[in-house]
Amino acid sequence: MTYSIIARCPRTERLGIGTTTFSLACGRRNESVRPNVGISKSQAMYLRAHDPRALNLLAQGFTPRSVMSVVEANDDDFMYRQTGIIDREGNVVAHTGAKCGQWAGHTTGPYYAAFGNGLAGPQTVAGIIEGFLADAAAPLEDRLMSALEGGCKAGGQATNGIHRPERSAWLRVLDRQDYPEIDLRVDLHADTVAEMRRLLERFKLYRDYYRERCRNPHDALPEEDFVPQPAVA
Amino acid sequence: MTYCIIARCPRTGRLGLGVASYSFLIGMYCSDVTRANTGVSITLGAPNPGNNALAVRLLAQGFTPKQVLAQIIGNDVNSDYRQIGVMDREGNVAAHTGTMTRPWCGHLAGKGHVAMGDMLAGQHVLDAVAEGYAADPAAVLEERLLVALEAGRDAGGQVGKGRRLPERSAAIAVAGIFDYPDWDLRVDAHDEAVEELRRVHEEFKLYADYYVERARSPRNAKTQMEFADMVAADQPKEMPREMI
Repeated sequence: MTYSIIARCPRTERLGIGTTTFSLACGRRNESVRPNVGISKSQAMYLRAHDPRALNLLAQGFTPRSVMSVVEANDDDFMYRQTGIIDREGNVVAHTGAKCGQWAGHTTGPYYAAFGNGLAGPQTVAGIIEGFLADAAAPLEDRLMSALEGGCKAGGQATNGIHRPERSAWLRVLDRQDYPEIDLRVDLHADTVAEMRRLLERFKLYRDYYRERCRNPHDALPEEDFVPQPAVA
Repeated sequence: MTYCIIARCPRTGRLGLGVASYSFLIGMYCSDVTRANTGVSITLGAPNPGNNALAVRLLAQGFTPKQVLAQIIGNDVNSDYRQIGVMDREGNVAAHTGTMTRPWCGHLAGKGHVAMGDMLAGQHVLDAVAEGYAADPAAVLEERLLVALEAGRDAGGQVGKGRRLPERSAAIAVAGIFDYPDWDLRVDAHDEAVEELRRVHEEFKLYADYYVERARSPRNAKTQMEFADMVAADQPKEMPREMI
C-alpha cells in the first residue's frame, strides 16, 4: 500500500516525486529517479531492478510508453506491480497490475501521474490530484506536498476496510544538477505526512543558506549562527 | 559540524557510508555516494554535492582514489573549505581536510575505511568512530557503520562556541552487488538523530528480508499487513500500537 505522484513543473521543467506508504524508508529508492532522464516509480510488490532498467531505456531515448512495454515483456509478475514513468518532457504513462490489491489505480494528466494501491478508494487518487492542481503557480515541491496531503485527507490507505497509517514518505525534486535539488525523507513516523510538511517548511528557511554555503563557503555564516528568517510574502 | 565514516566490508566487498551532523539534512548531501563494485566518495565540511557524482564516475573510469582526490580538489576553487573522502572497491583510500575546515577537524584513513569530521570535540571523536567501526568485524557493514556513529556521539560528537552541538540528522547507506543501495536509512531534523537512526535501523531489519522476498516472489508473498501483524506479535513490547 502506497500512494505517489510524479510530475514535471511546466514552468521550470523540474521533475519531482512525492510518495508515502506503510512500508518503512520509502525514500531509499534512489534508483527510481535520474536527473536529466526521468522518474520510474514502481510500487505494490515492486522489483527494485525494474526502475533502473526503465531509466536506462529512457536515457537511450525510448518514450515512457515504449519503456513500459519493454518492462512488461520482461516481467512474469507484471500484474503484481504498479508503475508510473515520466520523462524530461513530461510524457507520462502508468500501469496498475490486476493483482496490486484493493483499491488500486492511477490517473495521468498533463505532466503528472498519481497512483496508489491498498488505498481507501479512488477518492485517495482524486485527493492527490486535487492537492496537486490546487495552485498551479506554486513551486513543484509545494504542489507535491499538497498532493500527499490531499491523498491523506481523502482517506489514504486501507486494507480489509481498515485504515492503514503512512509510516514513511519521500519528496525529491530534480533540477539540472546530477544531485537532487530537494530531497526530504521521513523513514518511520507515526504522523508521516505532517512530519514531511514540517520538514519542507523548515527546509525552505534554510535552502538559500545551504545552497550559498556550498557555493561560497568563504562568505558563509557558521550554521550555529544562522537564524532562519521566515520568507517575506 | 559533521562526522562520517566510509568503509568497505572486507568479507563481502560491500561499500558504505555513515554520517551524522548538526546540519538537519545531511542525508540530502549524501545521495548516491556509494556505487556497487566502484567505490564511495563524500564531500563534507561546506558540502559540495556535485563532487560526489564526479568522484564516483572517476573511480568507475579506473582512477585511483589518490588521483580522484587530486582531480576533485583541482576542480573546486573552494576546496580549502571541503573535507573529502574517497575509497575504491578494493578499500584503497584517500582523504583531504581543507585548511579552512573548521576545528577540530581531521581525518583518519585506514585500509578499507576513512573516518573524518569537522567541529568535533577533538581527535578522540574520530578515534572513537574508528574504534566503533573496528569493534565487531564479523557484523554486517550497516551495523558497523551505525556503531561507529554511536561511538562518535558518545565520545562527545560536535562542538561549536564551546557547547555541544546535537546531532540533528544522520544517515547510513550501503551498496552491495546491485545498482541500488542494499541499505539506505535517514533521519532528518531530529533532536537525537543518532538514537532515532538506531530505532529506524532496528525496525527496518525486521522488514528487510520480507521486502526482498516479496519482490522476487509476489505470487507467494504475504501482504505487508499480514507480515506487520506477525512482526507485532513477535514484539509486543517494542512496538507501540499506533505504529502497527
